[in-house]
Amino acid sequence: MRSYLLGLIVIVAAAAQPPAPPAPGGFLQNAAPAGPTPRTPEGKPDLSGVWSPGLDFARMGQVPLQPWADALYKDRRANLSKDDPEGHCLPAGVPRIAPFPFKLVQTPSLVIYLDEGNVHSYRQFFLDGRGHPKDLDPTWMGDSIAKWDGDTLVVDTIGFNDKTWLNGQGLPHSDALHVIERYRRPDLGHLEEEITMEDSKAFTAPHTFKRTMTLMPKWEIHEYVCNEFNVDAEHLVGAGH
Amino acid sequence: MRFMLVAAGVGLLLAAIPGFAHHSFAAEYDSNKPITVKGTVNKLAWVNPHAYVFVDVKDEHGKVTTWAFESLSPNALAQQGWNRSSLKPGDQVTVEGYLAKDGKPLADGSMHANSRKITLADGRAVFVGSSADAAYQQGK
Repeated sequence: MRSYLLGLIVIVAAAAQPPAPPAPGGFLQNAAPAGPTPRTPEGKPDLSGVWSPGLDFARMGQVPLQPWADALYKDRRANLSKDDPEGHCLPAGVPRIAPFPFKLVQTPSLVIYLDEGNVHSYRQFFLDGRGHPKDLDPTWMGDSIAKWDGDTLVVDTIGFNDKTWLNGQGLPHSDALHVIERYRRPDLGHLEEEITMEDSKAFTAPHTFKRTMTLMPKWEIHEYVCNEFNVDAEHLVGAGH
Repeated sequence: MRFMLVAAGVGLLLAAIPGFAHHSFAAEYDSNKPITVKGTVNKLAWVNPHAYVFVDVKDEHGKVTTWAFESLSPNALAQQGWNRSSLKPGDQVTVEGYLAKDGKPLADGSMHANSRKITLADGRAVFVGSSADAAYQQGK
């Protein structure tokens, strides 16, 4: 009886014990599930899944800029990124991504890329052999066509406007931006992306960098209606105060 | 010793986290103006792009001022195990954060700040994390 009571007390104490707070930023540091690369019936790697970029979302390296672009970049740095389009709930563009997860849905002729945030946006990687349309209207996310190079999905994107920043620090580009992404799924839990950016009007040379995403089998992408309560916009004063 | 190691690890982690705000922290808040306030939760706005926690703070004369604390986005909070019920109206809280640079209230008149940690009366910490812990604006 006594030990039964003691047991009860221990259970009650355990129930009352507040859960340990999760590690700050813990959601950005996730272990990848192990296993072989999933494949489609056609034998291609299946890139489908909910992916988290983790800390790689901010990775880009040093991009060689032409003088006008470097001056604009320095100006944005001096202003502490107060005019970042993302702060105004505008799309990130390409290849910039948010720390939030995204979802890939793969079919034989089309891969769909669904962004949870910064704002909901989508990209379509057309795999049906089409080329880029002639005389593209400039857009935030550009026009993407794709092809397989062995087990690597190569995505070619042009047709951008010049309104997006390439990263949160304000790295500029022009409407001549051309992005080539090479996606690989070397195993179940990882999606590797090698990105080459060319911009004859803003860069002095192409720039290539890599990031690795982690499969999040228990996650879904969530609703993220950025404009619902964006009270920040009018308080982004930069270095002015 | 073990605690110190853990504490050091958390410190490193904090330093390494890029901002997961949708805007630059430094453009809006002043990391040189940390504040700590104690008060009562008025409401939790579980909205994007940032959850906001409104806290009523009473001064020595009994005058109540409402503070609006920006937190992370609801999805970022949810991925760390918190939800829209983690803070309820009436909860006694201590909020550590940073003042807004412009010193201007929000449209509803509430004082504007960023929270990096909210501690409940039972010592439980919720909504831990802030774009203040960011390398976001530091050029990686």
